[in-house]
Amino acid sequence: MARREEKLRCTKEPYIEDVGPRRIKSIRFSTLSGEEIKKLAEVQVWNNRIYGADLRPVQNGLLDPRMGAANKAGICATCHGNFTECPGHFGYLKLTLPVFNVGFFNSILNILKCICKACGRILLAENDRKMYLKKMRNPKADISMKNALMKKIRDRCKISVCPWCGSKNGVVKKARASLAIAHDFSRSVDGSIEEVRTALSHIKAKSSFQVVHILSPVTVLSLFKRMPEEDCELLNISDRPEKFIVTSIAVPPVSVRPSVFVDAGKSSNEDSITSILKNIINTNSILREDLEGAAPPFKCLDCWAHLQIQVVEYVNSEAPSVPDSKHRGLVQRLKGKQGRFRGNLSGKRVEFTGRTVISPDPNLKITEVAIPVLMAKKLTYPERVSAHNIEKLRQRICNGPDKYPGANFILLPDGTRQHLRYVDKKTAASELKYGFTVERHLEDGDVVLFNRQPSLHRMSIMCHRARIMPWRTLRFNESVCNPYNADFDGDEMNLHVPQTEEARTEALMLMGVQNNLCTPKNGEILVASTQDFLTSSFLITRKDTFYDRASFSLMCSYMGDAMESVDLPTPAIIKPIELWTGKQLFSVLVRPNARTRVFLNLMVKEKIYTKSETMCPSDGFVYFRNSELICGQIGKTTLGNGNKDGLFSVLLRDYNSHAAASCMNRLAKLSARWIGNHGFSIGIDDVQPGEHLNQEKKRKIDDGYKECHDLISSYSKGELTLQPGCNAAQTLELKITGVLNEIRATAGNVCMKELHWRNSPLIMSQCGSKGSPINISQMVACVGQQSVGGRRAPNGFIDRTLPHFPINSKTPAAKGFVANSFYTGLTATEFFFHTMGGREGLVDTAVKTAETGYMSRRLMKGLEDLSLYYDQTVRNASGGVVQFLYGDDGMDPAKMEGRNGIPLNLDQLFMKIMATCPPRGSDMLSPMEVSEILKDRLEKYKSPEGGFSEFFKDLLTKFVDNRVNLFKETRKALKLDENHVARKDSSVLENVAANISGITSRQLQVFLDTCISRYQSKKVEAGASIGAIGAQSIGEPGTQMTLKTFHFAGVASMNVTLGVPRIKEIINASKNISTPIITATLQRDDNVVVAKIVRSSMEKTVLGEVSKSFKIVLMSSRPYISIKLDMDLIKSLHIDVSAESVRHSILNHPKLKLKPEHIHTICNDKLKISPPDADRKKLQFELHTLKGMLPKVIVKGIPTVQRVVINEKQGKFQLLVEGTNLLAVMGTEGIDGTKTKSNHIMEVQHTLGIEAARRCIINEIDETMKGHGMSIDIRHMMLLADLMTYKGEVLGITRFGISKMKESVLMLASFEKTAEHLFNASYSGRDDQIEGVSECIIMGIPMQLGTGILKVRQRVEKLPELKYEPDPIIS
Amino acid sequence: MADDDYDDVDMGYEDEPPEPEIEEGAEEELENNNEDAPDDVVGAEGEEKEQEQVERPRKTSKFMTKYERARILGTRALQISMNAPVMVELEGETDPLEIAMKELRERKIPFTIRRYLPDGSYEDWGVDELIVEDSWKRQVGD
Repeated sequence: MARREEKLRCTKEPYIEDVGPRRIKSIRFSTLSGEEIKKLAEVQVWNNRIYGADLRPVQNGLLDPRMGAANKAGICATCHGNFTECPGHFGYLKLTLPVFNVGFFNSILNILKCICKACGRILLAENDRKMYLKKMRNPKADISMKNALMKKIRDRCKISVCPWCGSKNGVVKKARASLAIAHDFSRSVDGSIEEVRTALSHIKAKSSFQVVHILSPVTVLSLFKRMPEEDCELLNISDRPEKFIVTSIAVPPVSVRPSVFVDAGKSSNEDSITSILKNIINTNSILREDLEGAAPPFKCLDCWAHLQIQVVEYVNSEAPSVPDSKHRGLVQRLKGKQGRFRGNLSGKRVEFTGRTVISPDPNLKITEVAIPVLMAKKLTYPERVSAHNIEKLRQRICNGPDKYPGANFILLPDGTRQHLRYVDKKTAASELKYGFTVERHLEDGDVVLFNRQPSLHRMSIMCHRARIMPWRTLRFNESVCNPYNADFDGDEMNLHVPQTEEARTEALMLMGVQNNLCTPKNGEILVASTQDFLTSSFLITRKDTFYDRASFSLMCSYMGDAMESVDLPTPAIIKPIELWTGKQLFSVLVRPNARTRVFLNLMVKEKIYTKSETMCPSDGFVYFRNSELICGQIGKTTLGNGNKDGLFSVLLRDYNSHAAASCMNRLAKLSARWIGNHGFSIGIDDVQPGEHLNQEKKRKIDDGYKECHDLISSYSKGELTLQPGCNAAQTLELKITGVLNEIRATAGNVCMKELHWRNSPLIMSQCGSKGSPINISQMVACVGQQSVGGRRAPNGFIDRTLPHFPINSKTPAAKGFVANSFYTGLTATEFFFHTMGGREGLVDTAVKTAETGYMSRRLMKGLEDLSLYYDQTVRNASGGVVQFLYGDDGMDPAKMEGRNGIPLNLDQLFMKIMATCPPRGSDMLSPMEVSEILKDRLEKYKSPEGGFSEFFKDLLTKFVDNRVNLFKETRKALKLDENHVARKDSSVLENVAANISGITSRQLQVFLDTCISRYQSKKVEAGASIGAIGAQSIGEPGTQMTLKTFHFAGVASMNVTLGVPRIKEIINASKNISTPIITATLQRDDNVVVAKIVRSSMEKTVLGEVSKSFKIVLMSSRPYISIKLDMDLIKSLHIDVSAESVRHSILNHPKLKLKPEHIHTICNDKLKISPPDADRKKLQFELHTLKGMLPKVIVKGIPTVQRVVINEKQGKFQLLVEGTNLLAVMGTEGIDGTKTKSNHIMEVQHTLGIEAARRCIINEIDETMKGHGMSIDIRHMMLLADLMTYKGEVLGITRFGISKMKESVLMLASFEKTAEHLFNASYSGRDDQIEGVSECIIMGIPMQLGTGILKVRQRVEKLPELKYEPDPIIS
Repeated sequence: MADDDYDDVDMGYEDEPPEPEIEEGAEEELENNNEDAPDDVVGAEGEEKEQEQVERPRKTSKFMTKYERARILGTRALQISMNAPVMVELEGETDPLEIAMKELRERKIPFTIRRYLPDGSYEDWGVDELIVEDSWKRQVGD
């Protein structure tokens, strides 16, 4: 880019200090004035022609070569760089007349509202002005405060007479014409307008006097120029306001608006920006000519308006004032998903990637991915030549780009790049030196990133080791399907190759499969065995499987490719022939040889578990003791994902990820090979129902149909007994649905019972590898009721579902009950109903993906920059504290072992300690001693790291106390002294007691030590991007939630919004939620009558409901309305209503404007109301309106409450209040206000405050997720709730909430409303510090999170101290 | 290929697992299968601390976070790949990352970690002062 010609020639090069690479610290947004644009520009653009006759860009045209090189052949006339070197230079385009900038139009309008339209000063009195200026200059004021202040000032500036010059000011508003500002005097208060009008009344023409002036850009410009600096400051303008009006346009460099030749260079295709600018130049020159020549003024004005519209189009072609533009303006380039911010700055296209179809390969390790050779030859890694690898790289160079382990390029230190295809490989190899870089083909063991869309959580992109293999697909172990949510029905996946040593290290350490076996969502294991692996494990561990020496050894060698040394266990049966059980094979699998010191201890209840633990008749209780499978048939609960105390989880926690991973590898190999030999398939005979089943099913269906028939007939007779809260039709539906569901269920049960134990679908469903009992019974017995929208098939025709059925038929078959099974085949109508149900599912998934995707995006934008700092606080990028201690205990959700996010599973741990650390003759501790040791240890463990959280300390103490009590009980049962323990060998009973539940001191010590050290290792580490993890943990389950909106919460038809819509409500902090419910606890919760009384005092009761009669009494003196209350009804409803209270309610009614003297209570149940108006003519009318309105007066209850339902829970009564107004409910007599909850977050915030709102958010998200059977660590929800509340008010994760939470302009611009944020930022001259994640990505700067939170410094050896004297001779 | 992991202490086939030896201050041995003498770590750390504490007591955790480990290994691997002198005896390793891991295991990486606190102050921790978890033991080459 050096300017070759103009470069100053010196005899000596001037000294320029090398400051090293520079870092962008912050970005300031501002506006450019016309002068500044002119200074920046290299060339004035005025020529409307682009190319000359010689097809070269015209001088001063829009593609003037001084604005940069237009294409690869061109050379920049300014810097003489070529297309790649020249960054481009601006030109400028001087406008004849100024025009408004659309982006600032609203700001201009606001400024004009605040200033005098004569002198340009602010319309504030001096003292006000000073006060506001002081507030504005307050250094503590942040952006949102300044914006609020500015709005306040704008509202204050409503003075009609300028305090500075005394001229009149009207109202400024947007003129009807699209882009003009009107100054309207018509509302001026004084009579001057009238005066003028009367003065001018003798002139006929009405239009000669105008109350409304149009403020043209020129006048606005001159007003703005007159504005003093202080007034600008008052309006939060950082710079001069005249910059908001365009006087010259900066013409962007040619390189951002490339021109493409088409038709073999005959014509060119111009960019939108170029064509808009061309139009502007045209209009501009016409305008100038019009002004210079004496064109009529209206023509000039027209032309000016046209210019204005074209400039608007240049900035924003979608602005309302631009009539259907065909171009893309500057704003359109920036905004939207494909725009600069989201499409090019936040996410970039990368090299060294691959994508193909995936397929399974159980012979690969879980950490590996097989990459086709073809791909490996294209994907390269730049390896730097050093002493360690020079020989290897020489070899690669000799192989060249076409032979597999080869190389494609050599990079020399001076920057030259040699392609090995065009270079002599032999000489290149021999000339290889240290410091060169060789771009060699991918080889085994290289680090690659593997990814599948949609990338919903961090496990969607993980780091694998490459294995170069033949063929054309990417292959990986099936165990890793889960985190990617991949299957092999044609899925494709992406591959990325990190290009630096640092990148591969970080990828391997932080994103490696081994380090991401668990999901941070709740700590469950995600990488685990699936499908075939489960089936074969289930079959291998059957009670009746035995193997002889040959086959057992063969199977042992399956699992380690016969490369592992295996210690054969003692055979289970020795005579007549040595036989091993399948369970022993699993013991070998967990611990193949004695050198492997893995002692696995676990107890798991499988799906098939029925009763009595280890003696379970169906062998469903899996018990591993010291890596030996004692009992149990292994299935999904033990090996599969989504479990916290399965085999792999325990291995991972008790040992390390490698132990779990290698166990998975062994299992994958074993089961894939075993099932290949054993064979496992499904055929038609698997789904053939037996004779018994057919009969049973027929009987059941006949019975059910008959029952339904009876129900229908009783319904049509109207004899149906109604269920609470339902009408007859609803009751019928409910009952029929119940009957039909029962048919399916019993058919299914019979079917499951009837199936042979070798039935393949049955095996698969039992071990959990695929399919559920419902799936099987649908194939074998009966498909069951098809539902659409949660009810039976709707009527698509007039009063019937299909024309095959009689009108109004409610029989099972007519409403979508499929009595056939998939085996017997569906009838035509059944098939149609089945497709209806199927379509609903498809529609659901299509709808919810878009919805949850947007929700995830918002969550991510809101939480992206929250991370843990070294002082254990959770803060956002600008250092604002969101939590003082993450999740109240600083533990990592990914590492939690217990349910509900408890750090350790004490039962499991204790069991392991007892098993691995047998007493061996040492004595038991007495109960007293145990408690003492525990106390002592807890006391000692108050290390600087903070020790246990209070909660966990309690848990541990309780656990140990339980153990102690157990020991005591045992001793009591054996009639031994409870508190004093004698020596173990002193008596038989002592020994028995000790063996049952004794603890030795060593065991206790090991237990406590393990607890402490493991607790310590489970803390979250500083730098963790907790926010992003939290956002993913909440967003990802959203995609799995079926879009079922409603469910019945036990009580009669009490619908609660659930699923994605509810999560959306919570996250948006909606003011109006669809089902607000207040759960109120009664002060006396054991009495129905009390509950009913309280209910009736809350439920809305109108006068019409409780009165016997409304009568208009017409009398000569004074007509009145008499109301008679129905006291019996009132009593039976337990409402506290009397004539006096009714009078009060009527008086308080807002629309009935009655005064106390109009209403008289005659007796306790009678009222007399006389109409207020004495006008005789209207009297009759008045009376009737009163009579119409009076029944609607609320006499008792809370108006906003729709319904109150009494809920009974184990003899305790509770009120569920449908509706809002928490305060009133809490204040109702008989309600315990301290225990009353609401699900309306905003209301909770208003009535109970921000902390209660936080709690409410946590509870509500938690409950909604639980409603869908999803467990999410509470810490994520806490973080979200804290983020939503940390500003002191509840902010939703929406564009409004987020813009209040974050300060960074770039981040907000990359979220939503890109242009608006950018224009506002330049209006108030905002500074972006580039701290957050989005900003750093946009600017290409490493972010202050994760590995970026620290700095690494080279430790330099200290120089030896210099001595200026000889060493002493004697020391 | 072979998963000859966990431990190399040959002790023959035994029905009962061996009893864990418990020492004061040391972590339970069943937990960490490599006996890389955590005692040494604690000792070294204690000594360093005495010297440092003169300036200002350091507050942050004495455990190395996974991010620190990744960063250090990455930086060191980059140095090694660019021909920096290796601080440990090599046994045929050629992968820079593997060498860096070996160096970290032997605490020979000549780096200091500067941990920034939110108020802008920082604490310097030598790589040899920090306790490194052992779960990374065999992350390479399997």
